[in-house]
Amino acid sequence: MNRHFVKRLAQVPLVMILVTLTIFIVVRSTPGDPIQIMLGMQTSPDAVEALRKEFRLDQPVLVQYIYWIGDLLRGDLGRSIRLNVPVSQLLAERFPISLRLASAAMLYAIALSIPLGIFAALKRNSFIDYLCTGFTVAGFSIPNFALAMILIYVFSIQLGWFPITGIGASEAEGAGFWPQISPYILPAVALGTLQTAVLTRLLRSSMIDVLSQDYIRTARAKGLANTTTLLIHALKNAMIPFVTMVAIQFGYLIGIQVTIEYVFAIPGMGSAILQAVVTRDFPVIQGFTLIIATFFLFANIVADVIYGLLDPRVRY
Amino acid sequence: MADLAATRLSDKEDDFRPAGGLQLAARQLLRNPAATIGFAVLTLMVLAAIFAPLISPHNPIQIKLSAKLQPPSAVYWLGTDHFGRDVVSRLIYGARVSLSVGLLVILFSFSLGVPIGVLSGYVGGRLDATLMRLVDAFLTFPPLLLAVAIVGLLGPDIQNVMIALGVVQAPVLARLVRASTLAAREETYVTAVRALGASPTRIIVGHVLRNVLSPIVVQLTIGFSAAVVSEASLSFLGLGTQPPQPSWGRDLAEARRFMTDAPWLFLAPTLTIMLAVLSINFVGDGLRDALDPRSWVTRRRATQEADD
Repeated sequence: MNRHFVKRLAQVPLVMILVTLTIFIVVRSTPGDPIQIMLGMQTSPDAVEALRKEFRLDQPVLVQYIYWIGDLLRGDLGRSIRLNVPVSQLLAERFPISLRLASAAMLYAIALSIPLGIFAALKRNSFIDYLCTGFTVAGFSIPNFALAMILIYVFSIQLGWFPITGIGASEAEGAGFWPQISPYILPAVALGTLQTAVLTRLLRSSMIDVLSQDYIRTARAKGLANTTTLLIHALKNAMIPFVTMVAIQFGYLIGIQVTIEYVFAIPGMGSAILQAVVTRDFPVIQGFTLIIATFFLFANIVADVIYGLLDPRVRY
Repeated sequence: MADLAATRLSDKEDDFRPAGGLQLAARQLLRNPAATIGFAVLTLMVLAAIFAPLISPHNPIQIKLSAKLQPPSAVYWLGTDHFGRDVVSRLIYGARVSLSVGLLVILFSFSLGVPIGVLSGYVGGRLDATLMRLVDAFLTFPPLLLAVAIVGLLGPDIQNVMIALGVVQAPVLARLVRASTLAAREETYVTAVRALGASPTRIIVGHVLRNVLSPIVVQLTIGFSAAVVSEASLSFLGLGTQPPQPSWGRDLAEARRFMTDAPWLFLAPTLTIMLAVLSINFVGDGLRDALDPRSWVTRRRATQEADD
């Protein structure tokens, strides 16, 4: 277990180098000059040249890459070309919002998928099982931004229960619990429904799998008639792949919010990347995508570790 | 009936005839009601896209302000948008964009991902290690984020959307093909043809590739539905199809401003996208079962159990 974990961690630097290389190749192999876009065409060539020098854009690409890596190792993500603030400052504003939204979406997904998955597995081919399958199929098929618009229409425009916007704005001090929570509800549901579908399907099938195992039959045979006990018995094992998947999906949720942010006007990481991409703000694109990829990478490692800890059969 | 299927199945295993297998798979597919419905809906959409100029009731981009924001009626079946353009016609023309992007993306990712996967799996060694680490690096990014970055940097344009989505999907396919190739390489029939002196190209194309075809086909349907959703997402963000060209995603984004007064404007593209993705997914699930002989056996058992 420990040895495997150490091995996984030892691979991290190599993967990170490849990730930074991928980011750099994607970002730099495309046309467009951030300085020219920011200053417009009327600026004197000298001013453009000076700024280009300041951001080291006059250097060969390979040298720029080495500079970037050097800065990263010192914990410096660079400065935004367009906003002229450190990328880390931008990140400090945006990351908590994305993290909060991802957590809310995950909470919703877990809270819904556990009862759905268990009931569907216990009562196979019943009405609730079909309902669960229908929900999963729909969850896999509806794009999150389309779901977001339906939710807005029903719950904000027609019923007036939740505000459409407000994340990042109503964060003002002293606001009550509800004004702080309510703007997150619709985005979290829209964002987390796909994960709910993934988790429900997984829990249903692993629960069915566990319930057909010999030890459950043995438990039944020795007179363990209490359904609750049996359920806990089975659930303990069925939850292992579920928990692992939660970790993986959580790492994923941080990076897929861009359309949801667009619909609900959320100042998160996705919209920052979208803006940066259009204006070719290289340091912001590079820094933000790197953080998202790192988050995903570590979520996967955590998932791996959890799996090893929970399942005694897994010995690396 | 079940017995008949059983005989055919064992026939197929005795002497290998790919045409018979394909026929069997098609029959299996049509036995699945969800897949049949999905296939029918998809066919209708494809036909609508091809014959768009013939069947669309109005011009999808002609502005007619006198008829703006009309609710659904006999003339405008699903109403009109803020420029007085017919929603039905825009959806029909939008199908052209969505479906052709989906098709070209899977063609692109196929021609990029399959060679990488086969090469990596068949040759192995250092080439395999290098290619797979590259694939890993690409898979560390959420697909939509990578697509947003690539399209945004290349410039908002439908052609760039196809390139971006192809690049995003190719690594997934490459990894899948590699795994299947690794498994197929160890099969006795590959050793046999190698012993017979077949060239590597012949082994790869004629034997390995043919036998990893079914997971590829299934993955391609997944890629197709992902491409339709991603195109809609990118157009929704303003990075894909540019106005006034009709597009499901862009029309949905435009409809945001009129949700209170004209809810049909956002409902029409939303339901169309859902219907398209649902149909593709149904066909994909059906194909997965139909192309996997093991699931035939289970289904046969299931029918037998039901008969008992």
